[in-house]
Amino acid sequence: MKIRVERDGLADAVAWVARSLPSRPPVPVLGGVLLDAGAEDGSGEALTVSGFDYEVSAQCGVPATIADGGKALVSGRLLADITKALPNHPVEIAVDGSRMTISCGSARFSLPTMPVEDYPQLPSMPQLAGELPGEIFGEAVAQVAVAAGKDDTLPMLTGVRLEIGEGKVTLVATDRFRLAMREFPWEPNESLGEVAVLVPAKTLNDSAKTLGASGAKIELSLAANDGLLGLSGTGRRTTTRLLDADFPKYRQLLPTEHSAAAIIEVDALVQAIKRVSLVAERGTQVRLEFVDSSLRLSAGGDDEGSAEEELPVDYTGDAVTIAFNPTYLLEGLQAVRTPRAHLSFTTPSRPALLKPVDEDGNVAPGYLYLLMPVRLPG
Amino acid sequence: MANRLLMVKADGSVLVHSDGGSYKPLNWMSPPCWLIEDPDIWTVQNKAGEKIVITIDEVMHDSKHELGVDPGLQKDGVEAHLQELLAEHVTTLGEGWTLVRREYPTAIGPVDLMCRDAAGGSVAVEIKRRGEIDGVEQLTRYLELLNRDPRLAPVKGVFAAQQIKLQARTLAEDRGIRCVVLDYDALRGTDSNEFRLF
Repeated sequence: MKIRVERDGLADAVAWVARSLPSRPPVPVLGGVLLDAGAEDGSGEALTVSGFDYEVSAQCGVPATIADGGKALVSGRLLADITKALPNHPVEIAVDGSRMTISCGSARFSLPTMPVEDYPQLPSMPQLAGELPGEIFGEAVAQVAVAAGKDDTLPMLTGVRLEIGEGKVTLVATDRFRLAMREFPWEPNESLGEVAVLVPAKTLNDSAKTLGASGAKIELSLAANDGLLGLSGTGRRTTTRLLDADFPKYRQLLPTEHSAAAIIEVDALVQAIKRVSLVAERGTQVRLEFVDSSLRLSAGGDDEGSAEEELPVDYTGDAVTIAFNPTYLLEGLQAVRTPRAHLSFTTPSRPALLKPVDEDGNVAPGYLYLLMPVRLPG
Repeated sequence: MANRLLMVKADGSVLVHSDGGSYKPLNWMSPPCWLIEDPDIWTVQNKAGEKIVITIDEVMHDSKHELGVDPGLQKDGVEAHLQELLAEHVTTLGEGWTLVRREYPTAIGPVDLMCRDAAGGSVAVEIKRRGEIDGVEQLTRYLELLNRDPRLAPVKGVFAAQQIKLQARTLAEDRGIRCVVLDYDALRGTDSNEFRLF
């Protein structure tokens, strides 16, 4: 193999493919990225960079001048670190025997390669389900993935449930303390029908963010029976294994009515929560006291010091004090993505609902963040 | 003949190990049993008349170690978990109690739990799996230091353990430290009182 490729394109491709590689792979080849120059599909002058660890696969094409085609497998982390650090000159990659030489400007690296024949075959893309607007999908996934559980003792909680049907896509995630749900209209290919799958939240969020960033279309492919989801766009494709777990029956958790509601300025509240929660030891709680048209925030106690702050608020309902985990509340406020938000609740021990508010002051449909309060002291 | 490890324990048991099979010996005799050591041949016999006869061709290594009185097995993790559980269910120590924090820092090391009792008084809690005298001494040192802090004083002490030795209990109570015996399984079984969606 002997090729020449632009530094930026190569560094981006390798970084994207290597990001999902395991840091301590059970088999060393799974920590590698595969460089394939002059793929046999006849697409010509292109280098394909791929990675796969049996859970997630990623593949990315880079334009290249190919003097001599071939394949090579090298450590993904190392190659990502090297390409990122290279000066901005064309990069020449050559494989001779069992070593790969990377030359760029006056820098020269020589890496050991791993046997290509030991590398697993990447899964092929499942059946195309349809095209999604990249920006909307990326935003929706980020808004929902924030509520997914980080701890894999309960695997069903580490995923985002993706439901397709009735002319819309529904994304939901919950960690038992909060639940985020986003819906947007979408028509998949006719052959798909109604589907619901559970996708690992972190992987989906990473993929949706990078693929949707350029505002391009994302192609969603799905093989629910084989447990595989694929996303592709702008020369990149990735697949991930679906989680084989039952998602909780979440619809019944959504409150249908409330006795009190407030329209809040998100940014002002976020700043205030960050300030008062400085005294809330390890994110214990921040208390929200709604009285008439004011919201009094307080945190801490006699032992670690206390803080309070008052904000004007548009509030309807009886005076209520309700307490939340400040981190969860902040994440919810930041996921709403509108300057103002609608917070509704019934009692200090029942879940509160956070929704976006449009410019006219009405609750905007499509997103909700359900948050369980924490127990008030005493 | 194969290479074997022969182990004779102080209780009289004899075990024949190979370099595999994890903790399981190839063959063994449980006490009470008697070992008759003849040159090149060992005979282990119990009162039922069962015998293991071991033929020894070559001794590669022979050593004897007194392990002394067994101090008991201390498993890591349980103590930390007890602390976590008790922090979650601090009312186990008394109705109306609240947690100030786990690992409350002092100049001589962290106190396991710092709490407030129902009346608002500070209480330092030392948690052990087995409550012995040195644990009481440790808590006494913490209490002495904590009582110098005007924001906390007076600080009472609670010595909490899965089992508390009589001597440790006597010493603790003499110093005004309350002893609490913890039931690990009951604490573990208690559901957290955090609100959850489901």
